[in-house]
Amino acid sequence: MIKVKNLKRIYHKGIVEVHALKGVSFEVKNGEFLGLMGPSGSGKSTLLHQLGLLDTPTGGEIFIDEINILKLSENEKTLFRLNRLGYVFQEYAILGELTALENVYLPLLMMGKKKKDCINLGMEMFDKVALGERAHHLQRELSGGEQQRVAIARALINKPKILFADEPCANLDTESSRHILELFRKLNEDLGQTILMVSHEEWHKKYADRIIYLKDGLIEKM
Amino acid sequence: MFKNLKVSFFLACKSIKRSNIGTTVLTIAIMSLIFVNLIFLPSIVEGIAETIEQQTRDHIYGNILIEPKEDDFYIDNVDSLQKKITRLPGVLGTASRYMVGATFTHKDKFIGGTLHSASPADEIVVTKYHKGMISGEYLSESDTDEIIMGLDLTGEEDKEGDEADLGGVKVGDKIEVTFSNGVIKEYRLKGIFSVSKMGMDSFAFITEKEMESVLGSNNQASQILIKLNELGTEKEFKKKFMELGIKEKIKTWEEKTAGITEVVVSSFRIITLISTIVSLIIAVVVIFVIIYINTIYKRKQIGILKAIGIDQRVIIRSYILQALFYCFSGIIIGSILLWILVSYLTTNPISFPIGTIRPVIGTSLITQSILSLLIVSLIAGFIPSWKTARESILKAIWG
Repeated sequence: MIKVKNLKRIYHKGIVEVHALKGVSFEVKNGEFLGLMGPSGSGKSTLLHQLGLLDTPTGGEIFIDEINILKLSENEKTLFRLNRLGYVFQEYAILGELTALENVYLPLLMMGKKKKDCINLGMEMFDKVALGERAHHLQRELSGGEQQRVAIARALINKPKILFADEPCANLDTESSRHILELFRKLNEDLGQTILMVSHEEWHKKYADRIIYLKDGLIEKM
Repeated sequence: MFKNLKVSFFLACKSIKRSNIGTTVLTIAIMSLIFVNLIFLPSIVEGIAETIEQQTRDHIYGNILIEPKEDDFYIDNVDSLQKKITRLPGVLGTASRYMVGATFTHKDKFIGGTLHSASPADEIVVTKYHKGMISGEYLSESDTDEIIMGLDLTGEEDKEGDEADLGGVKVGDKIEVTFSNGVIKEYRLKGIFSVSKMGMDSFAFITEKEMESVLGSNNQASQILIKLNELGTEKEFKKKFMELGIKEKIKTWEEKTAGITEVVVSSFRIITLISTIVSLIIAVVVIFVIIYINTIYKRKQIGILKAIGIDQRVIIRSYILQALFYCFSGIIIGSILLWILVSYLTTNPISFPIGTIRPVIGTSLITQSILSLLIVSLIAGFIPSWKTARESILKAIWG
């Protein structure tokens, strides 16, 4: 499903070149729950950003369902993100001007669905993430764990092929983290959802099918 | 396109609904005042232009003016010409005038001016001097030794300064008139009029019969003023008069006043133009600042929107829609304010030296103001949102 070949990413900070990814190659199967782990600065978030089309690599190739996604135009990348990918960021990243429900159904609205259908599907998704009663609350009225569940519901609403999660539990306590990870595991097992999750917590390993360890921009072990 | 516009509209609505109410009210208030300013000052200038035109129609030219042929000093056979014109349906009346230079003297004061002859019955139909009498009475057909004069000639008794007038003569005073042919005759001042400061108050009138007896003229005039039933039909009637075989110069009031109005209102129009430009600059700055601050403050949100697959154009359009919301709200509130202001000034017109001025708001002025405000709002909404929305996703989210 995902094929990564010799992926490189170099950042320029003034005159200094930072080699965040130095040539990474691996594959992810359909329905796999892959963990990306490694110390800070190892390149795991950078890798996730390249795979999720949030950033453009300096070199290499990424194929998702046989499509070379780096050859897509900016508009095609936007559509690809909307229709096939889902994101959960570590800082919740939900929109403060929208209620929890509006945050969740926004991608459906963008896909051209009727508002009534968007609301119904949004509410269904809220039940899945066990947040139904908080649907009409704004970001400031939600706890960190609730916000992250809203972000997960939004990431899943368009039934993405791949769910990307960048340290989704970084700002959560252990209990909330466990709930989120169990939810991921359940989605993976029940719906066959492909998940790529970045984490640096050793105890998160048990939720993933496979772990790729990164160090200094290279794969240390798979 | 349409479904995307729906998303832009959705985002814009939510943003306005959940934005700071104080900022929204203040922005709309500024936009409404800008709209008022865009329309109000030009409407006053239009009011001035309209008053000037009205004054000249009512006192100097009528709707159409007939003047002597190129090399003639006077129009001959005036009576038959007037009858010919009056027979046409749509002509309300005609008034012939004979004009001569004269010197008016009272005691030790004297002033030069133009003396007009008037047929009072005709003048009442065509002009409005009879309505502008501030003292005494208007002329009657049988008057021979009586004169009416404008306030600029008679002067005001208590007025200080070195005015070029007769120093405040009153009704009943004797005025000595020296005609251009050397005849000197004394007249009783029957009435004083004040119709406008556009020069009409420096006119003086005696009856047509009296003028003919002094000058020995008969059935002649310097001009014939024609009053039509309907304003705006002048060109049509000018053509009809030419078809009647009238060889004298025929001019509509518009042809006669074009230069005068332009001279008077041109300075005002420059001020209006400057005021319009300043208003539009303020509108650009206000909208730009509001949208710019908004996009900077919501930079992370824009990044998130892009990350979840919301098209950059949808995001930009949502900010343009917000700018349009401020613009249209300003126009609506501004229109209400203008309506109140115009209603007040219509019943309580502003007093200008040339007369009372009411604001005149034409459709073109409204359209022009709405369009200009709309265009500046679109530009001011587009630039900051486009600038922020084209940033890379990661930079927008994490800085």
